[in-house]
Amino acid sequence: MTKRIAAVILLLLILGASLVFCSARYDYAYQDRDAIMAPSTAPHWTGTDELGRDRTVRVAAALLLGLTGAAAAAAITTMIAACFGLLAAFSPRWVAAILMFHSDAFLSLPWLFLLMMARSMLPLTASPFETAVATFLILAALGWPACARAIYRGAAVLRSSEWMIQGHACGLTTRQLIRLHILPHLRPLLLPQFLICVPAFIVAEANLGALGLGVGEPMPSWGAMLLELDNSALLARSHWVYLPIVLLAAVLLILESFTSEVETNA
Amino acid sequence: MSLPITIAKQAGRTLLLLFFAAGGTILLVRFAPGFFSDTREMDAEYAQAARAEIQEENSRQQFIGRIAIQEMNSWLNGDFGLSRQYHVPVAQLIGARVRVSALLLAEGIFHGWLLAICAALPISALRKGAALWRLPFTILLSIPTAAMATACILADAGGPVLVLSLLIAAREFNFLRSLLEGAWRSPHLLQGRAQGMSPRALMTLHILPNIAPQLCALTTLSIVTALGALVPIEVIFTVPGVGQLAWSAVLNRDLPVLVAVSLLMACVVGFAGMLSTHTVTLEAA
Repeated sequence: MTKRIAAVILLLLILGASLVFCSARYDYAYQDRDAIMAPSTAPHWTGTDELGRDRTVRVAAALLLGLTGAAAAAAITTMIAACFGLLAAFSPRWVAAILMFHSDAFLSLPWLFLLMMARSMLPLTASPFETAVATFLILAALGWPACARAIYRGAAVLRSSEWMIQGHACGLTTRQLIRLHILPHLRPLLLPQFLICVPAFIVAEANLGALGLGVGEPMPSWGAMLLELDNSALLARSHWVYLPIVLLAAVLLILESFTSEVETNA
Repeated sequence: MSLPITIAKQAGRTLLLLFFAAGGTILLVRFAPGFFSDTREMDAEYAQAARAEIQEENSRQQFIGRIAIQEMNSWLNGDFGLSRQYHVPVAQLIGARVRVSALLLAEGIFHGWLLAICAALPISALRKGAALWRLPFTILLSIPTAAMATACILADAGGPVLVLSLLIAAREFNFLRSLLEGAWRSPHLLQGRAQGMSPRALMTLHILPNIAPQLCALTTLSIVTALGALVPIEVIFTVPGVGQLAWSAVLNRDLPVLVAVSLLMACVVGFAGMLSTHTVTLEAA
């Protein structure tokens, strides 16, 4: 029930954001020089930032970019983890041990620190779109170890199951067994991993953005919107500055509710 | 497996982890754009000859093997090399900041756990309405660390310890609650309740001693969570700790500082892992 309500709210948020983004009079990067740090007015419903950019459009774009980027990164990371976990499970023991050591080493180092290091190694001349793609790709590239370990354990149990031995005896190759039997059996493990990764990546992007290492300007992102809160002049003029953080918390709450429901069912 | 072998294995893993962290950092920084730029080249005080020497010094750093040997030598000397940004031995730079970060971590983890235990104990015993009481922790989980820190500054209330404590409390509350819920439902506790033992006696005599090893293992895992949150917290609150140093080193491609910080982090994480394994092994014994 909670999951359904959460899904409806999330869908409404995405639809609303898409509508605002597509039908807005201004582009997210357009600077209205006559309305710098403006409060709520007719052309700018939730006011503007310190460069006169419309906050409604920017928040809508940040929501869409955050969700799309995090979902894509979560899908990639789940895929990497599935490949890594399956490779370890169907390899000789020493190969599995080496692969799992790499996964543990990644897992044990502080995540944000690793992200910060990897993200800062990008060229300073990268375009905003490139920085957005790179940020989410780095998230995907660093987020797989926990998921890979879970998949390795799941696949190792399945490998020694009786129906697998039967499959081998019937002449099925390992690749066929993985595609036809193992992957469908691992689906209940892969879906929660994907759902856990989405909010985690949104939070990671917001934290990176707040450190100035996230998506580049003028592209709006949760992290860049959080930086607005540092501007005391802007805070004194309008309460709409808090809109991004409220919306971000709401989106994360909705995504957390999916995760907890899936965990309960598992 | 005997305890000494387990500890030796864990120590070996930690050593490998250290090499992995150092090698990874050197690779990342060496191929980062701007690694060969040196602020001294733009300084008019340096003569042409000195600048040529700097360029030659930089060109010597083209080979990863040479960088690794240089770093190893500096570790053996005990100074961890010279910071490219501050021109001070890295050991001196980190030494001054480790105490600040360690204190922040200790206070944050202690208060976070205290808060999580105080909340999880009564909530785990509830039969109805537990979801409502869990809501504040779910909301806390939904707020990025950086946003929480900024909110504290805006409200002019709280500080780095509060943010770290809230983060740890939010993360550990769920583990603790499920651990306690499982403990409440165990048959010997049902028997105790049926015999009329008070909840306080059940808690102090049965539940807490039973879950103490798991709690110790979980506490060590909190260190990793806290280390991850250290950077945004120290940067936003301008706390002169290791996290802030790492952030500035990342922005300035300061390789010796980055390698030293990576090693420090890997050491702490490896030690926490050893401690957690040791606790679980002792419990099994």
